Amino acid sequence: MSEAYATGAASPLIRLDHVSRWYTRGVDEVHALEDCSLEIPAGRFVAFMGPSGSGKSTLLNLVSGIDRPSAGEVWVAGQLLNELSEDELAAWRARHVGLIFQFFNLVPVLSARDNVALPLLLTDLPRAERQQRAEIALRVVGLEHRVGHSPRTLSGGEQQRVAIARALVSDPDLIVADEPTGDLDARNAEATLGLLRQLKEEFGKTVVMVTHDPRALRFVDQVFHLDKGILLEGEAERRAHEALVLAGGAAPASAGGAAPAASAAGRGA
Amino acid sequence: MLPISYSMGNVVARPGRSFVMIVVVALVVVACSLFLGLLSSLHRTVAMTGDPMNLVVLRKGSDNDGSSQITRLAYDSVRYLEGIATGPGGQRRVSPELVVQPFFWTKEGGRENVLVRGVEPAALDVHGDVKIVEGRMFRPRLNEILIGKALRGRYRGAEIGQRIEFGRNQWRVVGVFESDGSSFESEVWVDAQDLANDARRINPFSGVRLRAASEGDLQGLKARIDADPRFALEASRETDYYAKQAETAGSLEFLVVAIAILAGTGAGFGAANTMYASVQARTAEIGTLRALGFPRSAILLSFELESLLLSAGGFALGALLALGLAEVLRRVLGGVSFGARTFTTNLVTLSIAPRDLALSFALSLAIGLFGGLGPAWRAARLRPIEALRKA
Amino acid sequence: MSYLGLVLANLRRNRLRSLLTGGAIALAVLLVCILLTMPAGLDALLSRLSNNTRISVVNKAGLVYSMPYAFARKIRALPGVEDAVGQVWFGGAFEDDGKVTFPNFAVEVDHIETVYPDYGISPQGLADFRRYRDGMIVGRETMKKYGWKLGDRVTLRSTVWPANLDLRIVAEIPNDRSPIAWINREYLDQALKAKGRSLGILGIVWVKVTDPKEVNSVMLRIQELTRNSEAETSTQTEKSFFSAFFGSLEGFVTILMVVTVLVSLCIVFIAGNTASMAVRERAGEIAVLKAIGFRRGSIFSMLIAETVMLSFTAGAAGVGLARLLTELLRNAAAGSPQLGPLGGFIVNQAVVVQGLLLSLAIGVVAGVVPAFGAARKPVAQTLREVF
Repeated sequence: MSEAYATGAASPLIRLDHVSRWYTRGVDEVHALEDCSLEIPAGRFVAFMGPSGSGKSTLLNLVSGIDRPSAGEVWVAGQLLNELSEDELAAWRARHVGLIFQFFNLVPVLSARDNVALPLLLTDLPRAERQQRAEIALRVVGLEHRVGHSPRTLSGGEQQRVAIARALVSDPDLIVADEPTGDLDARNAEATLGLLRQLKEEFGKTVVMVTHDPRALRFVDQVFHLDKGILLEGEAERRAHEALVLAGGAAPASAGGAAPAASAAGRGA
Repeated sequence: MLPISYSMGNVVARPGRSFVMIVVVALVVVACSLFLGLLSSLHRTVAMTGDPMNLVVLRKGSDNDGSSQITRLAYDSVRYLEGIATGPGGQRRVSPELVVQPFFWTKEGGRENVLVRGVEPAALDVHGDVKIVEGRMFRPRLNEILIGKALRGRYRGAEIGQRIEFGRNQWRVVGVFESDGSSFESEVWVDAQDLANDARRINPFSGVRLRAASEGDLQGLKARIDADPRFALEASRETDYYAKQAETAGSLEFLVVAIAILAGTGAGFGAANTMYASVQARTAEIGTLRALGFPRSAILLSFELESLLLSAGGFALGALLALGLAEVLRRVLGGVSFGARTFTTNLVTLSIAPRDLALSFALSLAIGLFGGLGPAWRAARLRPIEALRKA
Repeated sequence: MSYLGLVLANLRRNRLRSLLTGGAIALAVLLVCILLTMPAGLDALLSRLSNNTRISVVNKAGLVYSMPYAFARKIRALPGVEDAVGQVWFGGAFEDDGKVTFPNFAVEVDHIETVYPDYGISPQGLADFRRYRDGMIVGRETMKKYGWKLGDRVTLRSTVWPANLDLRIVAEIPNDRSPIAWINREYLDQALKAKGRSLGILGIVWVKVTDPKEVNSVMLRIQELTRNSEAETSTQTEKSFFSAFFGSLEGFVTILMVVTVLVSLCIVFIAGNTASMAVRERAGEIAVLKAIGFRRGSIFSMLIAETVMLSFTAGAAGVGLARLLTELLRNAAAGSPQLGPLGGFIVNQAVVVQGLLLSLAIGVVAGVVPAFGAARKPVAQTLREVF
């Protein structure tokens, strides 16, 4: 996998081709994403960053197959996601994507082990093996002593780790994280980001993350900046953005208004 | 595809909400079971009554003993027919009977019509299920009577050794008889001649009951009796006779169906409310499961299962309550009386049979299944992105 | 926005939930109404009879025991008695059915008019009844059941007497709930004489007392009259007679009422659950209202008004449905000889009132606890929890 990264000639894991996403909310039509194109090679740890309303979450949802584009093509691991039906997308996600959310999104009535084993229920594996893999995943994140605990008895940091174990357990190509450190304190945030980095380094996973946590810049390989639904291309713009992020993420709030006249085209790096 | 423990866990996790749905289903189960029990008790009493090998011979056109009268000649024409079974001592199993419905007064002062059957000793040969369990058989010309088990304690003087006043006389209770829970247990038996005297009857008998030696004999006897031109008589199989008597079926069955449908649907709506609230509270969770890749069918099944678990729980509670309540009612009411066509008291003991509970169980499952369907459908249709946005 | 408008708007908040709850209430009230028609039918019958000056006279031993024919004449001679009509159970079955489906009696035709002036039978009809030996007066319930009209010829086969009589309907008892039929005693007597018997007995005598205050003394006089004769009698007011007649159905009625209570409890739970869900969801808004200055009393009344309005409207719909439904069902399931007036399933005024009151009560009981709890909760606490 690292070879693919080095040469850059192998096909990318993720490719978006002139992708736009708009939807109606009440009487307004909201343009969440405007004509985005990008490529992400396998095994890379990237972040989507931008102020609220910039479309970064939308972008993430499209990449993970949770949402469909209004225009353009989304290719992940050689599959054109557009042509899959709702149920086919679900099955595809089960095999190819591991999901991590801001609020951990664990099922409160199941134990940690059962939570982690959830994605494996969609496979044909027998129960014993499912339980075993769940325990292995929990060991990776350092929670082997908490397998039987209910999420209600775990701290925030521990819950997020369980979520990461869950994302890992079906050995997906792609791990997607939506604001994974948003609800954590400094220490746990660092630990989480480190764990995600570990997934890329040790397991060769491609990790795509949405965040406005400035700490993330130290852990990721590449950052895509978005503003008002547009992918920022120019060096200058991106530097300016980065600076803002480092300063504490206090980006100008965009009210979903008109996009800047110069719409960026071409491929992102 | 989602584990059962998920559904069960959710049932347990919200005890308040689960409790409401369980109670609602339980109450419907109790109501239904009580009525079903009443119906089945009535049917059972009727079904128990009568022997398929017995014939009831009445005057043509009478639809029950009480309104029939036959002459002694008519009786004689029947008693020697071929095909009638004989008892151990060689005696023919023929029982001439006189039926009268005098007033009896209950302990509370109410007045009821009770079926008094004037019989000869041969009656015990024909009505094989009737057994004297306490006391002894009456002796003629002494105004002695036997009372059926169900009447004991219901009327003034209805106890062995005491006297009951009915007709033009006072009668001493010398025995109590049982008959497998059939309608005979709501009757008083007395010497036929004593009764005829008391009721000033010209014709000594209402009708005749006889036991046929075989099915073939039964058909033959029936044909011969029906066809006899001298006496306008009609013979019917005893079991058929009683089946015709207890025709409450129309109204009662209608009520049971009404209760099941109306109360069941109402409970279904209540269940739907509970489940909808559940779905709303767990929108993010459902979105997560969908995002993880669980298909809609898995979500649908899981929520339906939850609904079914709750309604099954409701059934368990309801069944217990129903059985307890039936016991209480039995003690307080004694027998529930259904006027047979002659408005004679026919006492039925309310009891809930396994079959009644099985039907109630089916109803509770239907409530869970259909009540939960809307919410489960809504949960299954949640798109992951909507669900996560709401988080 | 008016107070009412506010209440309605809140109900519209979660339309599905309001509809489901309302639906459940309507169905349950419908069921309760159907169940209540049974005892109500009996009560209606009895209360109609409570002011009557008619007395029943039967053989003390039982209805099937007879009295000598002469009794009727003797009773008529007693002071205080306006008139008396002797009747005998004919037990006629209408050909097609083969079993007795409505009560029918052979009566002394000359005395019907004075004893039953309240039955509203037309004078012409009564005159015809007196004139034509084969005449028959039939209650409207039975007329409707068989689709008979005045002038129709009907054959009744007696199940107790050896007599098949051809009869002509000369009058109707204009009461939808009267199934009874009367034929001429003389006609039956004639038919019996042809077989070598005669109708020398009476089954029951209905006596009309001139003055309501005299009812008790007349009853005593009749009992004295027959005390040491061959047929000692039992006399009762018309109401007691029918009360005793149907008294044995008490057990059944008790079970009915138990089921009614269970069903009502069930709806209270459903409605109460809905109310508490609604209140919980709006905790924040309610706190804001209180913060603005609404008093606890107004909050309470507003919340409980919602539950009561929903419950009452739904319940009223249920009652309306019950009336409609029973009109349709009356023919299918009613008139069961087993249950007498209980089997009528007629939703009368009493049932309507009971149904509406129940709906109101359900609304109040279900809504009171959540409304009270919400009104009472301290403002600051709620604001902290929600915002």
